[in-house]
Amino acid sequence: MNPVILKLKKKIKYRMDMSFLSKPHKDISKLSSQTISYGNKQFKIKELFTIKGSDIKNIIIQSSVDLMDNIGKELNNINITVHGNVGYAFGEQMLSGKLILHGNALDYAASGIKGGSIFIHGNSGDYTGGKTNHGNIGIVDGFLYVKGNVGNNSIERMRRGNVIIEGNIGDYACNDMISGTIIIKGKIGKFFAEGIKRGTIFTKDKKVTKEYARSNDAEYNFTKFYFKEVSDIIGKKIFLENKNLTRYCGNTNSKNLSEIFLFKL
Amino acid sequence: MIYNGIKIDNTFAEAFNMKASRIIVTADNLKWAKHACDSFTGFATSVIACGIEAGIEKKLKSSETPDNRPGYSILLFSMSRSQLEKQLEVRVGQCILTCPTTAIFSGMVGEDIIPLGKNLRYFGDGHQTSKKILDRRFWRIPVMDGEFLCEESTARVPAIGGGNFLVLSTNRKSCLSACETAINSIKNQPNIITPFPGGVVRSGSKVGSKYKALIASTNDAFCPTLKSVTKSTLPSNVNCVLEIVINGLTFDDINEAIKTCIKSISKMKIKKDIVAISAGNYGGKLGQYHFHLRKVMK
Repeated sequence: MNPVILKLKKKIKYRMDMSFLSKPHKDISKLSSQTISYGNKQFKIKELFTIKGSDIKNIIIQSSVDLMDNIGKELNNINITVHGNVGYAFGEQMLSGKLILHGNALDYAASGIKGGSIFIHGNSGDYTGGKTNHGNIGIVDGFLYVKGNVGNNSIERMRRGNVIIEGNIGDYACNDMISGTIIIKGKIGKFFAEGIKRGTIFTKDKKVTKEYARSNDAEYNFTKFYFKEVSDIIGKKIFLENKNLTRYCGNTNSKNLSEIFLFKL
Repeated sequence: MIYNGIKIDNTFAEAFNMKASRIIVTADNLKWAKHACDSFTGFATSVIACGIEAGIEKKLKSSETPDNRPGYSILLFSMSRSQLEKQLEVRVGQCILTCPTTAIFSGMVGEDIIPLGKNLRYFGDGHQTSKKILDRRFWRIPVMDGEFLCEESTARVPAIGGGNFLVLSTNRKSCLSACETAINSIKNQPNIITPFPGGVVRSGSKVGSKYKALIASTNDAFCPTLKSVTKSTLPSNVNCVLEIVINGLTFDDINEAIKTCIKSISKMKIKKDIVAISAGNYGGKLGQYHFHLRKVMK
């Protein structure tokens, strides 16, 4: 079966809620005839998009624009690939499946995800992988990869899961983190990891280790394994090696039991 | 039937339904991975008294393991789920966790999940940390050489245990040599193990005993020393019988292994000393799988 390909029939002026893609549709005709709001009117999907293909579990959106919000919101067991930029809440509270974005995302991308994997091959706005706009829960589980830079308040209240950011991350990142694993290859903004409890962070930015104690140079079996697993998932070799890592850990007298692996390039 | 100069008896091997699991053990080098695996698979020859049957399936290169370190994969077989779970946990705890530099991973995907490091993590006394990557969870347990990494669970799949054949020879030297060659020929075959020492058994058993307490006893019909005092099935010129027991994940895996073994024996110079290849069975009433030797060799 060929994947379903959606393409806008004409340029849009108003914000469009794309969360209809995450709903379970029996077949392509059900999807095409679904009604959504656009501006102050109701339209059928087929009136706004040209639709090809039949595999309802594999969707490709062509020439997406940043007025298209909620793509992959609460997505469950569906794969969506997007070419172009997207609006707010890309993959918000996703449950399972795969989201691939070849473009940039606005705020709240991957916020509160509970499973699945999201690949953003571009930049992402504030609150990426953070709390949702309407809740207080960050990433519960899942996998997030961002090739570019990430905005402020990102990865707040992360509980579990894996995040890889190849670019820089803004201020207030990783605050109130409960657990999980993060690799940040770029620079880190101000007020990083405040109120963190547990979790593992790989970074090259030494300033974030101020509150941490230098650990012994022990061998960590986890790191070798982790880099290989992550490399397999993103299809690209992670450059980190055990010999380039220095471990810093939180103090048992404080509530911070997290660890930071500092790497050198 | 004569296969390449060796007589194949018109009989069959009788094998049983079992449950199997695979684990991958890695270490800084093969030496320590081997130490761990030898320890793990020690005293795991037969479910009669060991709880499980286990053996090293194959050597793994660094590129084939989850953490880029060399290692081995081990297959475990058991009749019951509870025994498999119990033995896996106990053996990982005492043989892998204790061995320097090692880590352990699941080597199998399936829906029937059994614990691997799930309970072992408590050895960390609260300092253990969990890492979840997609659907797999791992535990990092602090130990004195750094940390022990283990996957939380592995899978259990249906399998077959007790595939076998017997080498009937005029002398012990040739018989042993034939068995060694046979075992070497399936050394790299995936999905099978030969759980007995060196892959070879000399104490083939029959069901029951004259002693009520025993569930199995020596297979007197195949004991050359009992030829004159029991109902022997051995020809007069047979003075040594050795058995190769093969456990595998599927019928085809065992079938292929038996075939490879017998083929390799038939290529040996000492095949003139091999009187026949036979197999062990219980009349076909106990085991669910029958490996008819002549069909196998066709």
